[in-house]
Amino acid sequence: MSIVGQNIPHDSAVGHVSGQSLFLDDVAPLRAELLVDVVGSPVAHGEIVSINLDEARKLPGVVALFTHKDVPGHNHIGPVLKDEDLLVEKTAQFVGAPIVLIAAETRAAIAAAKKAITIDFKPLPAIFSIDQALAADSFLSPERIIQRGDINSAFASAKNILEGSLTTGGQEHFYLESQIALAYPGEGNTLTVHSSTQHPSEVQMMVAEVIGIPFNHVTCICKRMGGGFGGKETQAAQPAAMAALVAHLTKRPARLALSKDDDMRITGKRHPFKGFYRVAFDDEGRILALDLKLYANGGFSLDLSSAVFERALLHADNAYYIPHFSASGRICKTNLPSNTAFRGFGGPQGVINIENILEEIALKLNLDALDVRRRNMYGAPRLSPSPGNPGEGRGEGLPPSHDNLTTPYGQLVTNNTLPQLFTELPERCDYHARRKHIDSFNATSRTMVKGMSLTAVKFGISFTRRAMNQANALVNLYQDGTAIVSTGGTEMGQGVNTRIRQLVADDLGISYDKVIVAATATDKNNNTSPTAASSGTDLNGAAALDACAKLRARLAVVASSMLGNVNDGLNPEPGYVAFDNNTVFDARNPRKKISFKDLCCQAYELRVNLGERGFYATPGVDYNRETGKGHPFLYFTNGVACAEVVIDRFTGDYRVTRVDLLMDIGQSINPGIDRGQIVGGFIQGMGWCTTEELRYAPDGQLQTHSPTTYKIPDISDVPEIFNVHTIDNPNSTVSLKKSKAVGEPPLLLGACVFTAIKNALSYAAPGTIPPLSLPATPEEVLMTLTRLGALARTPATVR
Amino acid sequence: MRDYLIIYVNGKSYEIGGARAFQTLSNFLRYDIALTGTKVVCAEGDCGSCTVLIGQPDGESITYRPVTSCIQFLYQLDGTHIITIEGLHYDNQLNPIQQAMVRCHGAQCGFCTPGFVVSMCSLFNERRNLDERSLRAGLVGNLCRCTGYESILRAGLEVPRHELHRFDELYPTSQLLPQLTRAAGDPVRVEVQTSTARDLSPSPGTAGEGGGEGSSSPTTNRTFFKPTTIAQAVQFKSLNPTATPVAGATDIGVQVNKSIRDPQIILALTSIPELRTIALDNNTLSIGALATLGEIERRTEELCPEFAKMLWRHGSPLIRNAGTLGGNIANGSPIGDTMPALMVMSAEVELTGATGPRRVNMNDFYVGYRKSVLQPDEIITRVFMPLPKPGDIFRLYKLSKRHDLDISSFTAAFYMRLEDDVISDLRIAYGGVGPMIYRLRKTEAALKGKPFTPAEVDTAAEIALTEISPITDMRGSREYRLQLAANILKKFHAEVTGEHTYDRTTPPSRPTLNISRAGGNGNGKAV
Repeated sequence: MSIVGQNIPHDSAVGHVSGQSLFLDDVAPLRAELLVDVVGSPVAHGEIVSINLDEARKLPGVVALFTHKDVPGHNHIGPVLKDEDLLVEKTAQFVGAPIVLIAAETRAAIAAAKKAITIDFKPLPAIFSIDQALAADSFLSPERIIQRGDINSAFASAKNILEGSLTTGGQEHFYLESQIALAYPGEGNTLTVHSSTQHPSEVQMMVAEVIGIPFNHVTCICKRMGGGFGGKETQAAQPAAMAALVAHLTKRPARLALSKDDDMRITGKRHPFKGFYRVAFDDEGRILALDLKLYANGGFSLDLSSAVFERALLHADNAYYIPHFSASGRICKTNLPSNTAFRGFGGPQGVINIENILEEIALKLNLDALDVRRRNMYGAPRLSPSPGNPGEGRGEGLPPSHDNLTTPYGQLVTNNTLPQLFTELPERCDYHARRKHIDSFNATSRTMVKGMSLTAVKFGISFTRRAMNQANALVNLYQDGTAIVSTGGTEMGQGVNTRIRQLVADDLGISYDKVIVAATATDKNNNTSPTAASSGTDLNGAAALDACAKLRARLAVVASSMLGNVNDGLNPEPGYVAFDNNTVFDARNPRKKISFKDLCCQAYELRVNLGERGFYATPGVDYNRETGKGHPFLYFTNGVACAEVVIDRFTGDYRVTRVDLLMDIGQSINPGIDRGQIVGGFIQGMGWCTTEELRYAPDGQLQTHSPTTYKIPDISDVPEIFNVHTIDNPNSTVSLKKSKAVGEPPLLLGACVFTAIKNALSYAAPGTIPPLSLPATPEEVLMTLTRLGALARTPATVR
Repeated sequence: MRDYLIIYVNGKSYEIGGARAFQTLSNFLRYDIALTGTKVVCAEGDCGSCTVLIGQPDGESITYRPVTSCIQFLYQLDGTHIITIEGLHYDNQLNPIQQAMVRCHGAQCGFCTPGFVVSMCSLFNERRNLDERSLRAGLVGNLCRCTGYESILRAGLEVPRHELHRFDELYPTSQLLPQLTRAAGDPVRVEVQTSTARDLSPSPGTAGEGGGEGSSSPTTNRTFFKPTTIAQAVQFKSLNPTATPVAGATDIGVQVNKSIRDPQIILALTSIPELRTIALDNNTLSIGALATLGEIERRTEELCPEFAKMLWRHGSPLIRNAGTLGGNIANGSPIGDTMPALMVMSAEVELTGATGPRRVNMNDFYVGYRKSVLQPDEIITRVFMPLPKPGDIFRLYKLSKRHDLDISSFTAAFYMRLEDDVISDLRIAYGGVGPMIYRLRKTEAALKGKPFTPAEVDTAAEIALTEISPITDMRGSREYRLQLAANILKKFHAEVTGEHTYDRTTPPSRPTLNISRAGGNGNGKAV
């Protein structure tokens, strides 16, 4: 039985449940290890006038204090543009911007030093919101646009037009393990850095550049992370560089572990967006033209914002074919920490806009939003043009080959499972009967209101930066028949190591427990891509399989001579050698078997190489960001979800009573782990839409910097009825073992909770389009009810 | 008098003196004795990653309750037995709960997992037959960012009940109980001078002992005293009026960890047995200041379900197992969850000083933002809570961004008597609408003697808005709170008059989560 496809527990599960798994802060202190902490700017925007470190230096236990002047290499850092200071040189651009590093022997000394350090600022005007940035013309990037067709003439002739805007808030990653790194000096200016990072190569390069040593002098190791979610793609590098700087300058081991409060205050988050839209549609709700302007709040520096924004534009169509299309916009520069990657990477912001628009079209036309979505989905049954048909204008002016399966950026949607998903889920979740029930409930209740909505996701898989779609892997076999695999994939809980173990064990025909996936380290795997974009298994698994294939080819030669026998009429034929169940045999005579272990021993004796490097580069993906055209994705992961909510019309309080979710994730490598990704991603997306609210004081201080005030979903927020299913899709032939990436796509389905709330509010104020912002906190819901004049009314008499 | 603490961890005893006695339990576990399975994330009791079990003598047995160890100080724990994640396996094998968590993919990144396992072990130790509702209620204090919780619930439901051992089978009571009882019975006093050059707790999550206000000087003097009688406690408090009394430490723990406070003199009330008792006398519940919110919750479930229901949303089970009613009153937050209820019930608080005890009505206890009539030489010793009588209408409301484990944005308490549909008595208290909890005297006066009709309620809602002064903060805007202040009266009316209204505080009565077995990847099969 194939190991791929089996429901094998996470490869660290036993350690996790028994408390034996080691995270970086669990590693015992090294000899003479120093604690590192950061003094950050108290102001959101200000010029440093003076820094006084004299009092702090005298404190017992304080070993060293460093500012930008002590950085031996480059102080200017950044993953795309070098537009950040590791330690602020002149101007602090956000609250918490790191200025001084404290290296001390005790936590108490660090606390005392923080109090003793004084920094004087000349305050500068600061801006925080997208609106302020638009008014101040403050941007980090030029305008980007993806367009097709002719929106102007489409709008000119359209019967129905809606305009509006949607504000979406940021989101804190809330990985439980805050940013942490441990660095220690080696011989001759070398450094080893243990980092909780999704991108060890980025850490390696930044450390080398900051210190001014060649890349090969730095080894970055990541055993595991206590959660990442994108927050450790680029922003694990700064703490690692700081720890490394202290280790390098003091020649002592140094560990920097941010507290949860500091982590939340100073690291970037999901980008808040504002979308302005104009949409033209026919009487049945088919979108004829969309003009969408998106603005992202990038924070003070670019970080990955350009790629995040690009993905937002690339997902503004989501699952829907829009003949005349324009999505454009810019990234705003504000005095907040630099917003960064977060599961979905701009996709959720693009998707929530179009899903919100579809909900509004349905309200405007008094149609069920599900019908509107199905008419608009990619591959929706085409209507034959006829004079009386309102759908006639669709696709007009486009080349005849242009069917409703081509995205605005020109990629053809292949293996399109959206029609199946859109048919199957409403049946499974009894959509129409429940809709009737909700209609009648809302007609009679004056104290509560219910709503339901079904949204979709079509998530593009691949990095939109072409070069990042590559991976290498190292597979070493030992004479007892066991294997160690090393890849650039990093384990943050998502199960990449488990899946790679399964793939390698399966490919070599050995049992799962014979394979170990080693800690990720840059001296074994060079120039690795971040474990991001849901691609961890796709890329690193494929590279590992490439190595396995080469190993098998060599071993087959050895095995064929062990198995073949001219007297039996079976000349040694490597092509017939099969690997299965820890044994190796000639497929023409399967009864004669040798053990995989013996084969490895024999290969060693014959001086056959038992180690191999594998490599993989995603074929065919390319995208021109200047023109907004290309084939950026290898394939799409699709899904649909339906949420039902009930709202208290007195208080705005609400709960999600039922969610049904149906996804196409191809042929799963590990169904249990994939289910965990689907459920976890959905709930995280639901959190973004509901209770996760970042509030700032007028001076830019984050007020919600710990779980007391920042509310991620907890166990009682899991919908009372929660059905999670997948469809059978054996046709995703372009992807690894016909599996599909699953890390990010389900998060985007959380949008259905937002649109369900909007749907409920529309019942409370018939004939209106409720102006709801995201997150739809109970406060937002109550204030929307208040604005709509749709609060629970006082009854005429006491019963 | 002993000058060190005696604490048991996973059956092993530790004697802890000097500066180490002042650290948090989680730091002691992680950095002093290398039990790093206990994780620290928030250092404020709000995520549950640091959950451990605290065992205390309880008559002939030891009662184990899960708490957040990041906001427990060692000096509170003299004479207790701590069980950590490392101490929960059976003969070096995973226990059935751990096995279910592995099998059901209850762990992803693994950082929250030890906390969940400890909480779940505790739930099953109390009750073998846990349904989904009890699991949800019992696990709201543990946050997970990876799984979306479904797999954890599934693991809980799949635990083979018959294979479970009770904690007293792992750690025999007969051996531990005498030792714990003996230690708890000793008064303890520790005095120490700490320096920034010596550190005990290189914790990332906390500012560390000595990290608070006034500690920029390299050395600090600290004193801690654990009395065993009220008389000893009061005497110490009169001699040391600046001493900070500590009971459950769920507030002070956060304040120390976040460098808001750094008490130099500590009076730990944790070993005074008479402060733990709860008694019912003449329809009045007499609650010792040290009784935990969890104990009161269990005690009021039948006596006063509305109060129990409110406590059910007070923090999390982990907080309620440590936090006390006395502490909640002493902390005096204007968004404290218990105070509006105590005010409309006209509860009395007993304050004991050098001259003896006195009683103050809760409505007269607070005089300003976190200010009360409690004198420096006094401690809170009891609370007397008159329970609603048949015919009394008693309703409590709490609004927060997240339903569970959240601090309220707004609270309201109503106590009303109707005679012939006319309001004969009415008390209303609101929280989260000003610097302290307010009684709405004008609103009450306007409604008293009036029929309980929608029109009167609408008028009263207008008056209510004149009696409050809410602000905008991270938990909600002024406008939101004003709207709630008006609407909650209307909701109260709707409820009392028998309308079907939204109420999520009652957990779902029937478990309905669709637990599909992990299967293959065929058409329509669950993954």
